[in-house]
Amino acid sequence: MRTLVFGASAGIGRALARALAAKGHDLVLVARDLRDLEAEAAHLRLTLGVGVECLVLDATMPERVAEAMARLAPEPPILNLLFAVGMTSPRDTVASAPAEAAALIDANLVSVMAAVATLLPRLREADRGNIVGIGSVAAIRGRNANVAYAAAKRGLESYFESLRHALSATGIRVQLYRLGYVDTQMSFGKKLMLPMASAEQVADRIVRGLGRDVGLAHVPAFWAGVALAVRNMPWAIFRRLEF
Amino acid sequence: MDGGIAVAAELQRPDRYGWFQTAREVRPLIPRGAGMSFAAASFAADTVSIDFTAFDRILDFATATGVVEVEAGIRLGALFDFLAARGRYLPIQPGHPAITVGGCVAADIHGKNPARDGSFIAQVESLKLFHPDHGTVEASEDKERELFRATCGGLGLTGIIVSARLRSKPMPAATLDVTRRRVANAGEAAALLRSSSAERDLVYGWLDLARSGAKFGGGYVMLGDFSARPDRGAAKPLASSRFSSEARARLPLPLLNRWGAWAVNGAYRVKLGISGGGSSLADAQFPRGASEMFYRLFGRAGFHEYQAIVADARYPDYLAFIHEQAKRLDVVLCLGVAKPFAGTSDFLRFAGDGISVAVEVPRGGRSDAFMAELDRFIVAEGGRPNLIKDGRLPREVADATYPEIERFRAFRRAWDKGGRFRSELSLRLAL
Repeated sequence: MRTLVFGASAGIGRALARALAAKGHDLVLVARDLRDLEAEAAHLRLTLGVGVECLVLDATMPERVAEAMARLAPEPPILNLLFAVGMTSPRDTVASAPAEAAALIDANLVSVMAAVATLLPRLREADRGNIVGIGSVAAIRGRNANVAYAAAKRGLESYFESLRHALSATGIRVQLYRLGYVDTQMSFGKKLMLPMASAEQVADRIVRGLGRDVGLAHVPAFWAGVALAVRNMPWAIFRRLEF
Repeated sequence: MDGGIAVAAELQRPDRYGWFQTAREVRPLIPRGAGMSFAAASFAADTVSIDFTAFDRILDFATATGVVEVEAGIRLGALFDFLAARGRYLPIQPGHPAITVGGCVAADIHGKNPARDGSFIAQVESLKLFHPDHGTVEASEDKERELFRATCGGLGLTGIIVSARLRSKPMPAATLDVTRRRVANAGEAAALLRSSSAERDLVYGWLDLARSGAKFGGGYVMLGDFSARPDRGAAKPLASSRFSSEARARLPLPLLNRWGAWAVNGAYRVKLGISGGGSSLADAQFPRGASEMFYRLFGRAGFHEYQAIVADARYPDYLAFIHEQAKRLDVVLCLGVAKPFAGTSDFLRFAGDGISVAVEVPRGGRSDAFMAELDRFIVAEGGRPNLIKDGRLPREVADATYPEIERFRAFRRAWDKGGRFRSELSLRLAL
């Protein structure tokens, strides 16, 4: 059995790969840069003795993602799919160019859909496995920053609801985690109003959730309260917030 | 980390190799490991520090030769655990598990018996170094030898150390038998340190600083050998603990005043008196816990360390001088450690034939004057202070005590033409 981790070169994806390898999972690691993947793969093989394959892919190209997924060897079966993809851009505004917006939607949403669609028959055949998505608190309520990113992440939440609905009668479990602030490159050096979790804490939580019918969960858990407050905040107040 | 210098600097923490493509835009810059050196080697005002700790992976391990290739941001504790599980270890390591391999290379640190083992460079087979003008370059004793020797001990000023191939050795046993010999005075200590350095795996002297008169400079000499007895269990894994200048600064008042120092030395004396025998290699390599507490006791004001090599014959006079000046200037001596050294210094290497003495004093009062007195003695006697232990050392003292410092400067001028790399330390010493 193998576990596929998208976005495995850094941040949450890297922490996930390490946490999974520590549990004995053989891995397929996917990211853009082979240098990052090979370093991580060597480390996991040497320190934890697991089997690791590397796959170089650009998530902004969903067609390529689908092709690459179709080419993955059938054995050992790939039964767990984890998508730690999070592409942001400083130019992601309400006025961003179509290509820029499309790249963000493709990387954060369409590529995930393409990979799941390609590999789903294998999971269905085995009638077990997990599909894990990484959402963001940015999806709670649209604001004047990370515009396409937030739209993609909200789309991802809807897609995972659909997945969970479609697979409810099967042995496949679906989990979407809406992450708060995590100490990764995305948040490095930013002044944040709320405390950050480490990538390792988040990864442990996600690995513990494998096999469970989670639906949507907030990590760290206190973000559920924040989400409720932000969602229900009167417009008169929300419009004045700058964050 | 010694609390002496605070500047506003920028920090980047890259975690992908793609970062190197953008590095041309980042300037001036300086690599940073765990940020634990006592001198300000990993930052400077208006300079970008490159925190390299996300590059922390083990890339290759050859079972037959024991050569291990690691990214430079890996911490020694993690590497120790990896090697220990395979029955191997690095003979030359500094005293804290959070220190990175890159930091060990850049400071060319020494271990538990520098007279016999040399410094970190002795176990480096090769390095990969990145400089925006040169790309990634491999350097070793056989290839780019000048670059290799300038980088090992080059304080991060020749580029960013990306990875290193290190020669590990079979661990003869998981425990070290440490014996302790009482020495009455400095002369006795010097003789025992020197005569033990040829065969012992661990040699250092603990100076009992609370004593006065002729007894000052006495204390204990600790001698360690890998245990001949059967292992008492495998080496235990090290969870690297957080130890930082921030943690130290949380204590607003220094507790290491006269009475504190007396208490610490007294407690240590008692500990040495009752302990002894075997200690696990992990504990001997990284004597944690107590020492972290010790550094925190200095509080926000921080401390000075002065470590310098003096010729064996001058060792007793040097200790007498330290004692006399501390008394005259009313400076409290908190910790004193002596180690036998050997070898010659090239570039900025802290090496030389003699015994190194490290003393620590709380910052403030007349501690600066005390340090200046030690400078005077060391320059006059042809000694050598350790650049990485002293955030204050003036340029003139470094110029007078490092015979190849000018050669290092010339190498830097040729290699780092644009002057991309700099730190507070390099600016102070005009490196």
